[in-house]
Amino acid sequence: MKHRFGSIVLDTAFRVLVPFTLLYGFYVLVHGEYSPGGGFQAGALLAAGVLIARLVQGEEAVYDLSGNKAVVLAGLGAGLYALIGFITMVFGGKFLEYGRLPLSVHDPAELHVYGILGIEIGVTIGVMATIIAIFDALTRGEDLYDD
Amino acid sequence: MAELYLEAILLILLIATTLIVLTVKDLMAAIVVYSAFSYFAVLFYLMVGSPDVAFTEAVIGVVSTVFFISALKKLNRGVKH
Repeated sequence: MKHRFGSIVLDTAFRVLVPFTLLYGFYVLVHGEYSPGGGFQAGALLAAGVLIARLVQGEEAVYDLSGNKAVVLAGLGAGLYALIGFITMVFGGKFLEYGRLPLSVHDPAELHVYGILGIEIGVTIGVMATIIAIFDALTRGEDLYDD
Repeated sequence: MAELYLEAILLILLIATTLIVLTVKDLMAAIVVYSAFSYFAVLFYLMVGSPDVAFTEAVIGVVSTVFFISALKKLNRGVKH
């Protein structure tokens, strides 16, 4: 997309801020067990990156997750959480008993790492899509820049 | 001892910003001061040793400010042109 949106300050802020915000969101998700952060914070950071894009570019945003797509994505995030929980139940454990996950590793601690990473990814997708859906519902059918 | 004074200052700032949010007439000003309240809350959480809560508060403070301003745009009042 070649044409310029907004002023040059907004343009530069968008190009510098958004990639680093999204990258930091992924970092917080993956490093959630060693440092402060986790699924919720990572999802909120990713949503903040998308919201910056929306605020600068308006309707023609690159990260188009508008309307029903965001709601469906939120449902998929919650579904991933529930899926991991029920997989462990299918293989003979309790709900979210990660030691029963059907992976090829047999160390229970490592199984816990994979299970928690899986549900954190679900939480991240759910939180990100929910925040974007709320923003869409608040700004539906109006141009943010009219006076 | 210095930490105690710093905590007291932060608590006074938190109460002061809350009172300003409750009493100010312009809604846009209330939103901006609420954002400042969120920032002081982040500093306070960091001082009492819970960086996880501080991180959450920082991110949610930004997102909720965006929500409040877009809701205010829909209300069509409170912003002086």
